Amino acid sequence: MDGLDLLKKDWKKREGSIPQLSYDEIYKMLWKRSSSIVKWIFVISILEFLFWALITIFWTDDEYWNSVERVHLKEFTVATYLINYAITFFFIYCFYKNYRRISSTDNVAKLMKNILRTRKTVKYYIGYILISTALITLIYTYFMMDYHVTNTVVEDVEKYNFTPIQWVKFTGIIIGGLAVFLGLIWLFYKVLYGILLRRLNKNYKELKKLEL
Amino acid sequence: MDKELEHQFVTNLEKHQNIAHKICRIYTNDQDSHNDLFQEITIQLWKAYPKFRGEAKFSTWMYRVALNTAITLYRKKKRSIRTQDFDTVDFKIKAEEYDDEAEQQLKVMYSAIQELNDIEKALVFLYLEDKNYRDISETLGITEVNARVKMNRVKTKLKNILNP
Repeated sequence: MDGLDLLKKDWKKREGSIPQLSYDEIYKMLWKRSSSIVKWIFVISILEFLFWALITIFWTDDEYWNSVERVHLKEFTVATYLINYAITFFFIYCFYKNYRRISSTDNVAKLMKNILRTRKTVKYYIGYILISTALITLIYTYFMMDYHVTNTVVEDVEKYNFTPIQWVKFTGIIIGGLAVFLGLIWLFYKVLYGILLRRLNKNYKELKKLEL
Repeated sequence: MDKELEHQFVTNLEKHQNIAHKICRIYTNDQDSHNDLFQEITIQLWKAYPKFRGEAKFSTWMYRVALNTAITLYRKKKRSIRTQDFDTVDFKIKAEEYDDEAEQQLKVMYSAIQELNDIEKALVFLYLEDKNYRDISETLGITEVNARVKMNRVKTKLKNILNP
């Protein structure tokens, strides 16, 4: 008997010892695509981080640092960058953990829990971006104004005195501008992660039906 | 997604899952990649299922789609699979002892299969599955004559590896 026949015999013999998957296990595989969605969230978070990092590199030339120094915000700016990078890295790490966790999950209840967890991480991340952007913008605006108030030499002080109504208008413009700015950022992230989150949600609902 | 279709599909796949397991055995050499490939085959089968609709036997169709998945996935991941240590080849067959000559020969055979390219593996798989040349040509989308020629080459290649 030659090798191939021997192999064929052995192949047939092994047929009986193949471990079998249950109906539910196979069904679950159809919804395990969640792991590829979560992988995309992880990849996008990295791309996004690189995108902002590149923008920062081009943005922060000497002129930028001089102007920051003029308004006494150099330490603050450096600290903001550091904290921001640390927190962003933390989120990227969380996304990675979520991805690892989801791809190794083998029961439906856990998979559902992980999907919820991923959704929550993304929501926290977007929340963090909005709040930190708002805070940083406000602080910068305050220091810029403070700088101009103390350093601008005006000949006629009367001309620069705001009436209460003018103050209200001024504050309104700043808050309105900030709101539009934050709205745009929110929209950007909503589009970026929204599609993936919606798909995750769909998978979650299907899994839920399977659980019942 | 149609619930009825889903149920039908999973039932069919459950019944014929051996086909996918055996393909995984030929194309992968550790349990993790086995599971990965099985998962991938399941997803590809499900994606292709709406086009199936009983035009052939489920098993015949499954051979074709599953083998295609294994071949394309293998091509994509060739490097990572190739870099695996060759000792892992016997992962799935180490459960048994290889004390006599025939067993030793089998071990060498299984290792030799791991050295074949993706198409050659498909041919060996179909040969082991006792498929005739018509089935083979249909599954792989080649002519019967071509299937015959290729199969003989693979057999010779394996025999040469076995008796150098």
